[in-house]
Amino acid sequence: MAHILLVEDSPEVSLSVSEILANAGHTVEETSSGKEAIKALRAGAFDLIVSDIWMPEMDGIALLKEMRGAGNDIPVVVISGCAPNSPLTYTAPLAATFGANIVVYKPFEKDELLRAVASVLAD
Amino acid sequence: MTAISFSTNTEFDRLTPRAWLEAILVPAIVLDEAGILLAHNTHVEDLLQHHAAPTLGKAIEGPFRIMADRVRRVAGLETRAWFEQPIGNAWYRIAAYPLRARPDGPVMQAIIATDITKQKHAEFEIRESEGQLEEATRIAQLGTYKSIWDTGAAHWSPNMYIIHGLTPGSPLTGRDRYGELVHPDDRHLYERYAAIQSEGKALNGAEYRIVRKDGSMRWLRLDARVLFDADGQSYATFGTCQDITEGKQREQELRNLLRRNAILYEALDASPIGVAVVTTDSPRPEVFYVNAEFVRLTGYKASSLTKRSIGALIPGDDASQWDMVLEALHTSGGGAFELTCARRDGTTFLGQIEVAPVRDHPGRDATVFVLNLRDITLDRQRSAALLQSQKMEALGQLSGGVAHEINNLLQPVLALSDLGRDIADKDPVKVRKYFEVISSSARKARDIVRQVLTFARRDTPEVAAYPIAGLVRDALRLLQSGLPPGIKLVEHIDAGAVEAVVNPTQVSQVVLNLVKNAADALDGEGDVTVELTCVDIDAANAAALTVSPGQWIKLRIADDGEGMDSYTLSRVFEPFFTTKVAGKGTGLGLSVVYSIVNGWGGALKMESEVDKGTTAMIYIPVVATP
Repeated sequence: MAHILLVEDSPEVSLSVSEILANAGHTVEETSSGKEAIKALRAGAFDLIVSDIWMPEMDGIALLKEMRGAGNDIPVVVISGCAPNSPLTYTAPLAATFGANIVVYKPFEKDELLRAVASVLAD
Repeated sequence: MTAISFSTNTEFDRLTPRAWLEAILVPAIVLDEAGILLAHNTHVEDLLQHHAAPTLGKAIEGPFRIMADRVRRVAGLETRAWFEQPIGNAWYRIAAYPLRARPDGPVMQAIIATDITKQKHAEFEIRESEGQLEEATRIAQLGTYKSIWDTGAAHWSPNMYIIHGLTPGSPLTGRDRYGELVHPDDRHLYERYAAIQSEGKALNGAEYRIVRKDGSMRWLRLDARVLFDADGQSYATFGTCQDITEGKQREQELRNLLRRNAILYEALDASPIGVAVVTTDSPRPEVFYVNAEFVRLTGYKASSLTKRSIGALIPGDDASQWDMVLEALHTSGGGAFELTCARRDGTTFLGQIEVAPVRDHPGRDATVFVLNLRDITLDRQRSAALLQSQKMEALGQLSGGVAHEINNLLQPVLALSDLGRDIADKDPVKVRKYFEVISSSARKARDIVRQVLTFARRDTPEVAAYPIAGLVRDALRLLQSGLPPGIKLVEHIDAGAVEAVVNPTQVSQVVLNLVKNAADALDGEGDVTVELTCVDIDAANAAALTVSPGQWIKLRIADDGEGMDSYTLSRVFEPFFTTKVAGKGTGLGLSVVYSIVNGWGGALKMESEVDKGTTAMIYIPVVATP
């Protein structure tokens, strides 16, 4: 089982995602922005990060840039409300180019997320 | 001067002076030195007419006195003299002779008056006709000249001098010096004309220029004939010389005018806009001129369009639209129209027609109009396509934003309902929490849908006249509790009982959105100022705000927070454009505000500067001031 850092500004989404992960036996630390996530990463070790994209202060893309720029290669699962075919430019595919390992699109079933987490952890 | 005396001892000597006097068939008198009448003949009565008959032994009076005085004044007593004198309506030649009875006797004076009225009148007539001829040549600026070949002498008429800018009678210039007067560029021409004349040939309409001494340039025309003497020998040239400068100038002006016209016509034909000139003198406006583009657009030839009614372009079933154009022509105001126009082949196009009066006389109604015609079929298709693509882009942005928000809200619904089902029996407390989150997410989703609809203005809220101040106060009261503790609301509500036609929910929506934005910009600490006032907007400000001048309600919401750069400011009304994090803002707030304010017939203006703050100003139409 893994120790997971969750980065999500919506309390409802954060609750649902942490419940899915906890139910599957993982331990989860919840943060609501990229900045908080950076702090948490400095404070402790994580096996995996699950991160939203649109967030205050520091969004998911900025978090990825900073992490990867600092040589941190913890696997990252991006969760995004922007569908792959969304006309909005600031979307999940961008996250992949900045070093996200996998993107899961909201709303997802719990198994979808768990499969993605498992696949990233297996790598 | 010796006095007349007669030899004696002849038959002639027996003649008395009186007999002499009577033998003279014209009025004659004899005066002594003092002007006393010594004798007169019977013809004096012809001259005296209504004057009293002269009395012998007395000083002469009347017409003879005038003569006598003049003779004495001009010539003296002892001199023979004659002159012409008008008396009454007649002219007389007055002759005065000194007379002596003996060589050493006192001098007498004989005065003889001959009526020369007829000769005088004939002379006047000749002089008059000469004068008229001279005047005519002066008016015609025509001079005459005569050159005698043998002597080389030239005789010029006075006008000839005047034409050349010389004083009449001044020494004639020889041919060489005349050549100096000729314009340098035309000297070769004049040399040729001179040669033709010297060969004894006629000149017809030979034109050249001279430069007068004062520097002015004149155009001259020479016409010359050869004169022959009684033996049939040519001996001289007689010619006329006419100043044709004015005619030449008019000719040049006409040439310039024609050239200008030609250029204007060329320019009109080169114009990418169809141009027709229409006259409204006749009951039906007539096409006076069309340019090439007009012909191209309509398919009619210029010849078939001119002198025809403008109705040639009227499509069979849509005559009424042209009536609008005709109406505009008749009322002289001109105007712009978009009409379906017919080509000659029956096909139609969407034409943009602008009609403007051609004012040939200020203050008088125009009877000539210029009509511009453009085929805007393609423009219309292009702008329709552009509008469509903008719509699609907006729709894409809207749907993308809505999808993002709804997806985020569906996430807990989907996950927690699934998880809750699994633990429903084991952990009812947790399940209850799940339900609360699911329910709140669903409500948020519902709100987003409503906002989208407000933005799209599909659901038209009911509006009525409300005192606007009360609505704003209510909205602020509801707001207060939701604001972070460091944010202070500064209220200046001063709109009295002024009413506006609004929807109360929308008022709170507008106030809520703007105050929340202001509070967010302050990052938890600072003042948000809300002012509600009545303002008079003058014409200049009205134009900037795109509202009509007059009284408006102004709602001003200002913060001194982080502000926005101009790029961000330019996009704030775009749907789903947000500077906020997910969940905090939908990016719809200001779009909704904009849409609501527009729905009220109001206007919205945002001003912002980075680190200085943002001010939102909303102008709402006033309904009534009780």
